[in-house]
Amino acid sequence: MSVAELKERHIAATATVNSLRERLKQRRQLLLDTDVAGYAKSQGRSAISFSPTDLVCCRILQGHTGKVYSLDWAPERNRIVSASQDGRLIVWNALTSQKTHAIKLQCPWVRTCAFGPNGQSVACGGLDSACSIFNLNSQVERDGNIPVSRVLTGHKGYVYSCQYVPDQETHLITSSGDQTCVLWDVTTGQRISVFGGEFPSGHTADVLSVSINSSNSKMFVSGSCDTTARLWDTRIASRAVRTYHGHQGDVNTVKFFPDGQRFGTGSDDGTCRLYDMRTGHQLQVYSKQHNGDDNDIPIVTSIAFSISGRLLFAGYSSGDCYVWDTLVAEVVLNLGTVHNSHESRISCIGLSSDGSALCTGSWDKNLKIWAFGGHRRVI
Amino acid sequence: MTTNGERAEEGRPPSSLPAPPRTGDFLGKHRLSAAISRLNQEIQFLEEELNELEAMEPSSSACKEIFLSTEGKPDAFLPITPGPENTAWHRWFQRVRSSHSRKWWMHKGASDVS
Repeated sequence: MSVAELKERHIAATATVNSLRERLKQRRQLLLDTDVAGYAKSQGRSAISFSPTDLVCCRILQGHTGKVYSLDWAPERNRIVSASQDGRLIVWNALTSQKTHAIKLQCPWVRTCAFGPNGQSVACGGLDSACSIFNLNSQVERDGNIPVSRVLTGHKGYVYSCQYVPDQETHLITSSGDQTCVLWDVTTGQRISVFGGEFPSGHTADVLSVSINSSNSKMFVSGSCDTTARLWDTRIASRAVRTYHGHQGDVNTVKFFPDGQRFGTGSDDGTCRLYDMRTGHQLQVYSKQHNGDDNDIPIVTSIAFSISGRLLFAGYSSGDCYVWDTLVAEVVLNLGTVHNSHESRISCIGLSSDGSALCTGSWDKNLKIWAFGGHRRVI
Repeated sequence: MTTNGERAEEGRPPSSLPAPPRTGDFLGKHRLSAAISRLNQEIQFLEEELNELEAMEPSSSACKEIFLSTEGKPDAFLPITPGPENTAWHRWFQRVRSSHSRKWWMHKGASDVS
């Protein structure tokens, strides 16, 4: 077959793909008979009511000398690892505000960090295209630094996100600028599976975020600069289970909903969205009206759900941290305007394992811990 | 639709040998074939998804499930929450013994200098 004939086939196949995508979009639209807010309204549900002093900044973790890019809580309740532009990982006891470890990284351009399931190791990755593992119980070297236990190499692009598989200290998933996610065996340093890349139905741009389903750790979701989120089954690397469309910009953050059947996303388009994992339906858009220039819409950098899922915490480039009522799709509080709010972009957010505290990390170099300090009524 | 170049090739006398393929052409064909394979695979996936949608329930089912899943779960951040309340939730507002700091963290009622 000649090049010209092949080019024709390519054009025809591309047209077919585009037409099918359009049909899918329209068919899906017909199936959206209501969104979550519409349903909640039909059930007479009204928004959660907070008084302005209910959510309190109860700790400020100071110590980084550069922007904070990433944070992760340890599975047991009080410790946090954070990664910063200053080229360090710090492990904090959030309850006492003390730093238990400060790790100076070989490659200072770190973008992501994660705590291992048994609380004894931390992982980080960044612009070295690798993921480094540290055992917190290691003997420190002469310079006071913890040695690297393992470096996971193989990505052909920056590592933007990493997460340990829950209850599996030896498995970790990374996402990368090489458009793939990888499942690693930490003990051997080998790649177990590569999701995307050469295969069709992989992401077609940098993959910025991952979230592993804690109800079924064989499933994880990834978010990408290609504006989609994709669901993967770790047993089937050859194709994504499903692709979720809707966002109009990079998907910076993905997080599973507590019931394990839905997940949330946050994007450069300034919205958060809630998707149904199984059907692929976009169930809700969380979007705030903005005055002024469309080019000035603050982007969503990070999200977390409260433990029941009733609240969605979203961090924005403006320094706002909106608390959304997930069911009613209204902002019920803004941690960016209360006392002790961050002074700059919020880059990362995480909820403690018992759901009693929220940690926010910011370009203002600090991490802050937030908790409910108001009057609580238990029914 | 053939290009002018191909018409010219067809018009050549049969005794002349076809020009050997240039490396660039070979790579171009290879890449195009691979791209077409990927597109065909994508077409298959999209058609499967369209078929799936025929039998799929509307979004209201999932909305109802979300609604129900948030009920009945104790949540430290909600002003009104089902129990049981975990006393550990209060640790963020309790006196913390620390050799490095004599601070103790109170409810917002205390005066802070902003």
